[in-house]
Amino acid sequence: MKFRKADPLMRDLRRVLPSDRVRVAPLERSIMGRDASIFEGGRAGPVCFPISTEEVQGCVDAARRHGRAVVPRGAGTGLAGGAVPLEEPVVVVATKMNRLLSVDAEQRVAWVQPGMINLDLSRALAPFGLHFAPDPSSQQVCSLGGNVGTNAGGPHCLALGVTSAHVLAAEVVLMSGESVVLGDAGGWTPGLDLRGAYVGSEGMLGVTTAIAVRLTRNPPAVETLLLAFDSVDAAAQTVSAVIADGIVPAAIEMMDKNIIWAVENFVGAGFPTDAAAVVIVEVDGLPGGVAAEADRVAELAVERGGSVRRATDDEERALIWKGRKSAFGAIAQIKPNYYLHDTVVPRTRLAEVMNQVYEIVDEHDLQVMNVFHAGDGNLHPLLLYDGREPGIMDRVHAAGSAIIEASLAVGGVLSGEHGIGIEKRDFMPLMFSEADLDAQARLRRAFDPEEMANPGKVLPTGASCADVKALDNIPEGVWG
Amino acid sequence: MAVVGGRTQWEIGGQCPEETRLVRAPAGVRAFDPADMTIRVGAGTPVEELDAALAEAGQRANLPVLPGATVGGVLAVGRDDLHALGRGRLRDARLEVVYVGDDGRLVTAGGPTVKNVSGFDLCRLLAGSLGTLGLLGEVILRTWPRPAAQQWLAGPCDPVELRRSMYWPSSILWDGEITWVHLEGHESDVKSEAELARSLGCEPTDGPPSLPAYRVSTGALEVGQPTGSYLVQIGTGMAYVSEPRPIPDADPAVVALHQRLKSEFDPRGRLNPGRDPLAG
Amino acid sequence: MTAKKSLGIDTEELASCVSCGLCLPHCPTFRVTGEEWASPRGRISAMRQVQDHGLAVDESFLASMDSCVQCRGCEPACPSGVPFGSMMEATQAELARRRRVDWRQWGFWVLGHRWLLNLLSRSLAVVQRLRLVPSKRLGLPKIPLVQERLRATGNDVWLFTGCVMDAWQRSTHASVKRVVESAGAGVALPGPGAACCGALSLHAGLEDHAHALAARTMKALEGSAPILVDSAGCGAVLKEYGKHMGTPEAVAFSERVMDVHEWLAAQADQLPSVGERRRDVTVAVHDPCHLRHVQRAHQPVADVLSRYATVVTLDDEGLCCGAGGAYAAMQPELAASIRDRKLEAINRSGADIVASANPGCTIHLANAGVVVRHPLEIVDEVIDYDG
Repeated sequence: MKFRKADPLMRDLRRVLPSDRVRVAPLERSIMGRDASIFEGGRAGPVCFPISTEEVQGCVDAARRHGRAVVPRGAGTGLAGGAVPLEEPVVVVATKMNRLLSVDAEQRVAWVQPGMINLDLSRALAPFGLHFAPDPSSQQVCSLGGNVGTNAGGPHCLALGVTSAHVLAAEVVLMSGESVVLGDAGGWTPGLDLRGAYVGSEGMLGVTTAIAVRLTRNPPAVETLLLAFDSVDAAAQTVSAVIADGIVPAAIEMMDKNIIWAVENFVGAGFPTDAAAVVIVEVDGLPGGVAAEADRVAELAVERGGSVRRATDDEERALIWKGRKSAFGAIAQIKPNYYLHDTVVPRTRLAEVMNQVYEIVDEHDLQVMNVFHAGDGNLHPLLLYDGREPGIMDRVHAAGSAIIEASLAVGGVLSGEHGIGIEKRDFMPLMFSEADLDAQARLRRAFDPEEMANPGKVLPTGASCADVKALDNIPEGVWG
Repeated sequence: MAVVGGRTQWEIGGQCPEETRLVRAPAGVRAFDPADMTIRVGAGTPVEELDAALAEAGQRANLPVLPGATVGGVLAVGRDDLHALGRGRLRDARLEVVYVGDDGRLVTAGGPTVKNVSGFDLCRLLAGSLGTLGLLGEVILRTWPRPAAQQWLAGPCDPVELRRSMYWPSSILWDGEITWVHLEGHESDVKSEAELARSLGCEPTDGPPSLPAYRVSTGALEVGQPTGSYLVQIGTGMAYVSEPRPIPDADPAVVALHQRLKSEFDPRGRLNPGRDPLAG
Repeated sequence: MTAKKSLGIDTEELASCVSCGLCLPHCPTFRVTGEEWASPRGRISAMRQVQDHGLAVDESFLASMDSCVQCRGCEPACPSGVPFGSMMEATQAELARRRRVDWRQWGFWVLGHRWLLNLLSRSLAVVQRLRLVPSKRLGLPKIPLVQERLRATGNDVWLFTGCVMDAWQRSTHASVKRVVESAGAGVALPGPGAACCGALSLHAGLEDHAHALAARTMKALEGSAPILVDSAGCGAVLKEYGKHMGTPEAVAFSERVMDVHEWLAAQADQLPSVGERRRDVTVAVHDPCHLRHVQRAHQPVADVLSRYATVVTLDDEGLCCGAGGAYAAMQPELAASIRDRKLEAINRSGADIVASANPGCTIHLANAGVVVRHPLEIVDEVIDYDG
């Protein structure tokens, strides 16, 4: 539909925001129709760029008065379609709310606006010797509000936990238009952990307007090891052995043969291209423990036939991480498109599930690369394809479903860090019973009784009646 | 209906009426693969039993080991361990819970793996819920390696200065005069950090002081005349006081959210009547 | 041949973006606006809406395209190797055809005629001195009244002198020439044929005009000697003649083109010593986009300069300064906001002066009160030519 100036919704929105911060041109709405997932065809209503909590409240109020849903959006780098607008909702974009509001280095707390970029925060904290622990691979662009929405992870969340463990409080605009602080940034408040329920709610409980994040001290000592193996099995078993040995490294990342080759070709990080798999292990902390754990990790790798390279300085460490973090970049050399999956399996079942992934991909005649957070058991198989090949998407989706089923079969879960969004909404019944899903819908209704915040995501059809309308009207092409 | 655990923190958040039917959650370790570093236990399992089972494998869970208390009890009450500063918060200890809902159905929230963002985080919502949203039956906890060495020190030093100087103490407590610090980790690291603490005026000691009975926000200490003794858990926002203090009124919007959650999860008020998480 | 649709963008190129968004923080206009339409991902999405889905070219489309500085900072950041610059050039060419009469083409026509440009520049210089034009507001530098004459000294290398730079900043060429000669090379200078590389015309979508300028430039720089360029924007286009013209001559020509610092870094052992005059100044190197993102040859600048002065790098990962050829004049507000970010980075670096190997950046930054020199001007002052 067209949004004209005389439209009552537009009139109300323009009372709240200057006209250059409410955008309605068809083009601007259509480019807001997608995020970094493969889902196309979403369609935004008015796109709002508030700069304050009051303006967000005004946008939410206006949307409510006119019976329109609200979709919060950060940098639009989500991989599960969480920010894809369905049914022309009011889209509230956080990118202009990107300031660091305060830093308390003594208490190790910072208040940030939701549009602040993850890496910008850690850069701003560098002079204090502090950082924000969650480091998603998209950290140079993803917003902290988005991190809260998806409860984002990253390589360095193994020992320190994902976003939820690093958010002390969130200021949230509820769909009633009220602004409320969930959690406590400095002290302790009795009551339910509303903050915990909010983090990871994918924009379905309200709109984040400020976040109090917990800051982590930079470690005094770091050791980074690059382990190379002749077989994926040996690599996966080494990962399990390290965990079983009682070591909790800062990060354990694994890459298989195809991705090693592509990365070497792309950045030249010095990875051994003849290896079947490499594992990057980083241990940090005080020097004694770091040295002992690094030695033990090396020992466990050698026992399983691995070769060990230890980064001798920060430059070599940076190069190894550059290789890991450029992995997605390297993929374009092989196929133009990829579909990145994100399941988690118990760490003792890693080798077994990886073998299943290879079999599944073979069965569907696709190519796969694995580059993932092995220490958490968080698989990231990348299915490579050329979207122009007829019928290819059916095979990609079929293989994806089979990988999800294989992961759940060994006691795994649907998503480790990307979230459910649109992508895995209809897989939810594979993991949760009707009663489980009903309980999640109750949480949602307690926050948002009218179900106006980001409808159509996470909870599958039937879990909640009000979502059905949005679900029935997913524009053609949303399923990629 | 209410679940009774070890009755160690039975009064927190209010009293159940006498006619309340009391039930016990199943007890015992259900599954434990040390290599996965997760453990599945019945909520009625005593925390000490859990701790002993994990200790055999050189592991521990991040729950306060209160004598006589049950796993479900400490989770429902949600009070952090003394070591929350270094080991993390209690709310982050659980991976999955199975609870009985108001309609008698079993509900699973969270998932068995160490990382999981599938669906809403009901697990954390149930932390500190005093059983008012559901009755905990079974939980999966993340476990951690037991450190090789540990050491308590205490002395009249500035707790803020101490925190600034040390890398990762597991606990710093301060009663207004004396500061206690707990170190754990690799032997040589504990030794070197202990040296550092000594240089700031602390000496080795047997253990932490006993905790005053009531938990408050550190902010509460700054309000009004202090009465009785207190102990601040540095870096966590929590403190313990010997005399109860009035709980400041919560934001009406927060109270409304609590009411709506209660009416969604337990519309007939069957679960743990008489208890209110906001009063805890 | 791949099929061409309404904007004339190569279909394969247009399909290559997977919308991951990793380009966003590297885009100067996204950085200052936070708006998707002002980002590479948003612009590609807009191109697709028009070319693939038949959306009309409207005001919002033009705003999205014309707000692009064409710095191409998104290209090195892109995991999928999306050729954004080429797509934007195709779009601009199509928009220029639709606009039909574009006053810019008259302006750029002047650039190709050295006598006219010099005449106009001289007039401007007079008018400036009479304080008849608000130079600062227009983003103009102080234009010299009298220019020193450059003389050829051999045939080892060509020095490409270009249009605006030759008319307004010839003293920079003189410094560059001295430094190159000090490494033992005789410098040849092109005739009036090589008056303009055509970069500005190309960015404005005036393809025919750009190709005509390219043909003349190639003819004026005959032979096989390396062609040294001291303006990053010109160098980038000269290096892409092969791609744009598609002829074997153009390909061979482009292979001869080098940024002057690339050439100097390769002759490092020939360069004269610093002598006693190494200056006690800290220089922040501002990497021009067309050197860093397009030529990907910014490192030699720091390599050469650090022999003669203390060099610091800016911490903004080479984000554009907002100059963008004619961009600062066409989009003054955005250009100024972008520059503000750069100024913050310069302030953080604590440098005394800034070195920039591109005249556009120099003018744009100098207008904000920054002391900016060409890197080789700084070198020229320090070199001990007798030592």
